[in-house]
Amino acid sequence: MKISYDWLKSYVPEIPDAEKLGDIITYHLAEVETIEKLENGDSVLDIKILPNRAHDLLSHQGMAREVSSLLNIKYNDPTPVYKVPTSSKTELQAEVQTDKCRRYVARIVRGVTVKPSPDWVVKHLESMGQRSINNIVDATNILMFDCGQPSHVYDLDKVKDSKIFIKTSPGGEKISLLGGVEKELEKDMIAIYDVDGHPICTGIKGGVLAELSDNTKNIILQIDNFDPVAVRKMSLKLGIRTEGGKRFENDLSPELSSYGMLELSALIAEMCPEATFEDIVDVYPVKQVERKLSFSAVRVSQILGLDVSVAQIEDILKRYNIAYTENAGSFEIVVPAMRLDLVMEEDMAEEIGRVMGYDKLDTKLPQVNFIPKQNETYAKISWARNKLLADGYSEVMTYSFADSGEVEVMQSASDKKFLRTNISDGLKQSIKLNQANAPLLGTENIKIFEIGTVFAKGAEEIHVCFGDKKNVTEVSLADFCKDMPSDFSLEPTNYNTETKFTMWPLYPFIARDVAVWVPSEVESSEVAEVIKENAGDMVMRGPELFDEFKKEGKTSYAFRIVFQSYERTLTDIEVNEIMDAVTAKLKEKNWQVR
Amino acid sequence: MNSEEKTAEKKSGRIHPLSLLADEAYQAFSEMGFEVALGPELESEWYNFDVLNVAKDHPARDMQDTFWIKGSEGDAHNKKVLRTHTTSVTARATEKGAKEGRMPSAFISIGKVFRNEATDATHEMQFFQIDGSMIGTVEDGVSLANMKAVLTKFYKKMLGENTEIEFRPSFFPFTEPSIEVFAKFKGKWLEMMGGGMTNPAVIRNMGLDPNKVQGFCFGGGLDRIAMVKWGVPDVRLFYQGDLRLNQF
Repeated sequence: MKISYDWLKSYVPEIPDAEKLGDIITYHLAEVETIEKLENGDSVLDIKILPNRAHDLLSHQGMAREVSSLLNIKYNDPTPVYKVPTSSKTELQAEVQTDKCRRYVARIVRGVTVKPSPDWVVKHLESMGQRSINNIVDATNILMFDCGQPSHVYDLDKVKDSKIFIKTSPGGEKISLLGGVEKELEKDMIAIYDVDGHPICTGIKGGVLAELSDNTKNIILQIDNFDPVAVRKMSLKLGIRTEGGKRFENDLSPELSSYGMLELSALIAEMCPEATFEDIVDVYPVKQVERKLSFSAVRVSQILGLDVSVAQIEDILKRYNIAYTENAGSFEIVVPAMRLDLVMEEDMAEEIGRVMGYDKLDTKLPQVNFIPKQNETYAKISWARNKLLADGYSEVMTYSFADSGEVEVMQSASDKKFLRTNISDGLKQSIKLNQANAPLLGTENIKIFEIGTVFAKGAEEIHVCFGDKKNVTEVSLADFCKDMPSDFSLEPTNYNTETKFTMWPLYPFIARDVAVWVPSEVESSEVAEVIKENAGDMVMRGPELFDEFKKEGKTSYAFRIVFQSYERTLTDIEVNEIMDAVTAKLKEKNWQVR
Repeated sequence: MNSEEKTAEKKSGRIHPLSLLADEAYQAFSEMGFEVALGPELESEWYNFDVLNVAKDHPARDMQDTFWIKGSEGDAHNKKVLRTHTTSVTARATEKGAKEGRMPSAFISIGKVFRNEATDATHEMQFFQIDGSMIGTVEDGVSLANMKAVLTKFYKKMLGENTEIEFRPSFFPFTEPSIEVFAKFKGKWLEMMGGGMTNPAVIRNMGLDPNKVQGFCFGGGLDRIAMVKWGVPDVRLFYQGDLRLNQF
């Protein structure tokens, strides 16, 4: 959620600077991903609001209340500032015919002028990355980013008889949505209908039937609240993601609707002082019940592993304006309507823990009376691995997916939809790959193994697979470990892991051999030195002595040098030139290059 | 390199870096009283999702994110997925342990997990996850502070004595409170794991009474530790079968 620093500050004037505020939010609430300084002078904090707070924090007022409580600084409640003219009797009728609509609040406003928005509205929307459209549409967007409540405005004169029906679609109806997209409603999707049964708008996006125009004079303000699961399904099926839909999906409290209507009315009254307001129609079939929650200071302390006093808890509850009673360390609170996340004692432990800060937790190792046993499968895997390593096999891991097999996944981001029935196929590929790199690895005979799971219909089994270019063997882990001593016990191994990983070049290598006859008193290292000095900086491996023999008072040394670049593919020509230079230098020593 | 070293190198093979890291991690947790737990890679919907209090309509259950197995139908115990974490393994171990009267208990599980996603330098369809769980009676008082101590010791062992860790607020269906674990490595805070106090719903799903037992659980990528510790630039390198990876 993007939060405008200036917008937030209008509610909580004492907030620290954006950077500092960002840190406080990250450590006590949710991760601040970025803080962007805008050209208009504002800063925007992009906050990854956690799913359990998305119902009350996807808004500036929500964040402002949270930050004010967290930092114990003043929150300027805007409610008393909102001025809506006295309303008159209305002809508007709304009927809710589905329990997927939890509340529907609407009113008629007459005599509005559709025109550009005032500067403050344009700036606020700009900070949200939104374009200003006109004063009426902007008011609905401001409302959503301000208090989190989605809303719609229709042209009253396009709604027959001022009658509205909220129900689920029987399926198959076509609707043109704002922005010109045509969609077909499926059964059980939430929509708003006129008296003739034409859908005016869906639960997540408005339609063109009663769309505002520049000439619109009379409007219907609509504040709704829909079932989160129904909205999510609908949104997925229609392939439409809207800011409003996102808020419904996160279980918005229907208690917010009346506030939303107050704020939206006030915004329109401010922008269209000439408008007249009619009475609010409020359909709220099942009122959200007030919940109570009990917890104790002792349990909260036990969960956190931190001694939290009654006074500390009382302080937090007061800051968060949570009504409570306390008796000998046992608390009962009245859960604020917007705090749907506070359900059980553990939720209060989290609330208290995060407000105090998890840096307050002492790091004390647990003392529990548990006697661990050796895991026999892991013992076998370790034994098998160590045996193969000792026998000169190196370990690889290949993919569990294959082109064919007995177990298939329903859907995959890759073209391999089956689980492997053996490791051998992957291991053979790996042998081929490594055999091609043999000069780089400094060995002619690649020996590798993998220990992993293979999948047959209805069963999975751990296999051990090992081999070289001639032969690959695959057996079950159990079979491989037939000779494992029955009293085998895992011993700690000390690994040298300080080494830094070196990425290899992604360009092909070129290997060259050079053999030299030298007087028998000349050591191989002396020859290697001359080669090294003249082979340039593209040497990836070597010079490595791979052959040596003596004849008639002379020694023949054969070296292998592997060239490879991190930046490009080397050519034969340039490597030939390097080797010519090396040969020339060796000859200068009066050594005979074969 | 002298010829003696050359013979030694020829004699013994080289371990895969993730096996090395897993073994080191197991050793670190064993020293703190954890028992190694292993479990199936093909997991039931029940242990992969339901036990962990993942809502029926949670997006993690979507086919776009999870590999569901064709032809596995019926209830949550029969429907199969490729496990998306190894929390399923520690949950199985804790449940089994409790039935055998092993309470308190502490399990650590490292294993291959699967996510149906497009691969890039930091995402793979298969990778290794490390998951741990410690649970005890309310009197044992296994707490969030205990988890911080355990993970501090673990990351010091894995990334060096100077490593610091911190908890930041988070949310997971299987924990309450939930936290994100960050480790400070070479002056930078890096996100390493998620965890928290095991949600009472999870405790209930494992057949235990949340009024009587409490504990913590955590989980995160092993590949991630390898990439941070050694500077391996691309997660896909671990599964290419290329021996140039085996540098340790």
